[in-house]
Amino acid sequence: MEKDKDKDSPENPLKVNRRHFFSQLSVGIGSLALGSLLIPDLFKGQAGQLASQPLGIPHFAPKAKRVIYLFQAGGPSQLESFDYKPMLAKRMGEDLPDSIRNGQRLTGMTSGQSKFPLMPSAVDFKQYGKSGAWISDLFPHIGKIADDICIVRGMHTEAINHDPAITFFQTGNQQSGRPSMGSWLSYGLGSENQNLPSFVVLTSRGKGNSQGLYSKLWSSGFLDSKHQGVLLRSGNNPVLYLNDPDGISRSDKRHLLDHVSSLNKIHHVETGDDEIESRIAQYEMAYRMQMSVPDVMDIKKEPESIIQLYGEDSQVPGTYAANCLQARRLAESGVRFIQLYHQGWDQHGNLPNEMAGQAKDVDKASAALVLDLKQRGMLEDTLVIWGGEFGRTNYCQGNFDPKTYGRDHHPRAFSIWMAGGGIKPGITYGETDEFGYNIIKNPVHINDFHATIMHNMGLDHEQLIYKYQGRRFRLTDVAGNVVKDILT
Amino acid sequence: MAKGSSPKWVSQVILGLTVFLIFLLIFESFIALPNLVAWLGRLHPLVLHFPIVLLLMAALIGLFKNKVPDLLLAIATFSALVTAITGFFLGAEVDPKGDLIFWHQWMGAGVAVLAAVWYWVSVNYLQQVYLVKSIQVILIILIGFTGHYGGMITHGEDFLALPQNTKLGEIPDNPLLYKDIVHRVLDINCIGCHNPNKKKGELLMTGIAELLVGGENGPAIVRGEPANSELVKRLRLPLKSEDHMPPEGKKPLSENEIQIMERWIALGASDTLRLNHLDNDEPLQDLVKEMMAPEKMDKWKSFPIVADSTLQNLNGDYRTVKRIAGNSQALSVSIFSPPKYDPNLILSLKRVTSNIVELDLSGLPLGEKEMEIVGMCTNLEWLELDRTNITDREFAKLGALSNLLVLKAYATKITEASLPILKNYNHLHSLYLWDTPLSETKNSSLKDALPNVRIDRGIDPELITIFAEKDSIEEVKE
Repeated sequence: MEKDKDKDSPENPLKVNRRHFFSQLSVGIGSLALGSLLIPDLFKGQAGQLASQPLGIPHFAPKAKRVIYLFQAGGPSQLESFDYKPMLAKRMGEDLPDSIRNGQRLTGMTSGQSKFPLMPSAVDFKQYGKSGAWISDLFPHIGKIADDICIVRGMHTEAINHDPAITFFQTGNQQSGRPSMGSWLSYGLGSENQNLPSFVVLTSRGKGNSQGLYSKLWSSGFLDSKHQGVLLRSGNNPVLYLNDPDGISRSDKRHLLDHVSSLNKIHHVETGDDEIESRIAQYEMAYRMQMSVPDVMDIKKEPESIIQLYGEDSQVPGTYAANCLQARRLAESGVRFIQLYHQGWDQHGNLPNEMAGQAKDVDKASAALVLDLKQRGMLEDTLVIWGGEFGRTNYCQGNFDPKTYGRDHHPRAFSIWMAGGGIKPGITYGETDEFGYNIIKNPVHINDFHATIMHNMGLDHEQLIYKYQGRRFRLTDVAGNVVKDILT
Repeated sequence: MAKGSSPKWVSQVILGLTVFLIFLLIFESFIALPNLVAWLGRLHPLVLHFPIVLLLMAALIGLFKNKVPDLLLAIATFSALVTAITGFFLGAEVDPKGDLIFWHQWMGAGVAVLAAVWYWVSVNYLQQVYLVKSIQVILIILIGFTGHYGGMITHGEDFLALPQNTKLGEIPDNPLLYKDIVHRVLDINCIGCHNPNKKKGELLMTGIAELLVGGENGPAIVRGEPANSELVKRLRLPLKSEDHMPPEGKKPLSENEIQIMERWIALGASDTLRLNHLDNDEPLQDLVKEMMAPEKMDKWKSFPIVADSTLQNLNGDYRTVKRIAGNSQALSVSIFSPPKYDPNLILSLKRVTSNIVELDLSGLPLGEKEMEIVGMCTNLEWLELDRTNITDREFAKLGALSNLLVLKAYATKITEASLPILKNYNHLHSLYLWDTPLSETKNSSLKDALPNVRIDRGIDPELITIFAEKDSIEEVKE
């Protein structure tokens, strides 16, 4: 190369002039640009999903296809249900030792108490099934399915009050605003039946002391609103305004929808707002639901033996038993996540009586649901979960009276049970100390619980991610381990 | 550059390729290759021999004769860069990258970048004799290792290893519990560090006698006492524990494998026990069978490929066709009863029959034609025909479904006449049969015909009576 053309010389090998610099730079940048062609979406700055896995399909072969979550809202006492602590009877009335409480915080409702007298369960326990699981006399029917369920005694949470605690269980975070578990699963796995929502909510209320339920618990948060839970009401109109008004035929409705949809599409092209597409999809879904929902909700078709199994209540719309039966029908029709709530488990006082009433509401129907799913082969791919947002204290709240005692909130150890869908049947997992206060073996945090559910549904909880407001979100946020010990 | 050496465009090409290569390496995890580019990776085995020869030649000339011809160096560097880039493309097809590919990739990239540095130093007349010499030495060493690792990738890791006679074969149908199961697990996970050449903790695990003798911490196993066997204790320790085995960084044994160890020790750690010697209720039987069962996803690997567009076309308001998981070709199909039933919902599945693994036809008014299509789904593992109007005549079409694991046929009209077909399902483990004429047959005769199948005949009537009569208590007794 001629010296005059290129000013660098053997004498000044590192002296790079401007032209040289730019020419070299252009080569470098050109190569970078070439390379960037191999990265799809490099400059798109997409806000939505960024997980490497395709959406709408499990990451690996799932054990469970759907979840029925029987949520016992209010915090049912583990000490009168699934965590047998005979030692409390021996030390009844004694103060909770400081060595056990360890300075842990209490709620404002009992932190003012001068004494924390230990109170044993007012009901007896029996062992059930081959596994010999200890279950209280309040739940004799659940006892009958002891060999089908896995009792998790080491659940714990950080939340100490109802709202944050239930929000934590449903969304993986104590503050509201995150998507609900059902929404995450709908987002990650898509819908099984295009004629029904993939996430359905049914509520019922017992006579016990209740806490509020808010629609934020089944909200889709920052996920597309089509993943939101749909609350089905009891009675003739499970979904409000679903039926055609008088004088409007189904074909009129079709025409109407087609026109509305074309207008909406124009608007979508103009604004690019994805919520408009959601809206179009929801109109279509509602149109199809007009046909499918009444059929699914019609429990009159159930044979007598099924009604006997779930109990007389199953014929009364709006009861927990009717909802359980409904849940089975919804599961059969391909709804992915069926969330039941039964309110009334907040026994700060009068626990023995109130809890007996609550148990009567749910015991038979919960067990019947498991038996019914089992005979239909659905327990093989349906995960049933029964539990509340936290447990209750081993010491008495209020009057020290074995008939009317109460218990305060206890987040450090409580029991839930799960059945089917890849969960080992007939085991009791985890252990609390003799006082039932702290977990001494195999604790399961809410994040672990979520990770395990997602695992059984074929999702890696670390892979199902949504980017929002500049950071990546997961149901388990930055924690959670799959509880392998309870998997089949 | 001067002295009639390579023209300027040569150095620009080399610079460009170098930047490109470094870019690829940095953004490796974000890159998705178009097919054509991925195909370029196939050139890697073709071009890789050039840099080996040319660079080695250049480096050796440089070491012993000082002056390396510019042209030789340019071509050698160019070929090294092309080789590294095509190699990168080829490696992108492999996921996850094992250790071998990892090291091969980074050393190969190192060779190419070092060559580029050498080229740059050389064309700019930097008098860095020691730098150039050391580059040449490093290059020679790196080329050797890169080539060696590359060879191991294509020919297998033990290609250059001295001949050995032990190779893990398949587990026979009726395995010897020690030789074919326990020893196999130990061989894969433990013997690498506990063999005559590398006797960690003074422990040999090559035979039962050696396990009984043990190492620094006493015997590894105690016959009949899994809880007192050091082996089991170590396997059961929390993963974080220092003493957990296998040590950190190695894959821990699966729960299934650990339980197999425990039961085998509990049964006396025999070396003559075979699978068929075990009692029927001995848990070890199921454990071993589980270990021998092929991985689900592996079974589906040979399925024909289904395009996403095909799936899209098949999906509709009343029919959901989905991949079982991620990139699997195995499909799960659910059909929900539409207001007006149309047999085409099932007939149009014809082109994907061999991909369908799960099929849900519950509650549909199925006819013979549709059942013929179902009968063609020979890879079916899960079939729901409950609450349909099928009879023995329709069921007769399903003789070829030998992979079936779960069959739901409750609330149908199949009778004893279908039993011979059911008998053919060798892998069937769950059969839901209540509310059919077939379930009226005697328990014992069904059990005899289908000994390995769990037959569900509905909820125990006694249980229903209990549920119907007894309510949960309302008042706590005083």
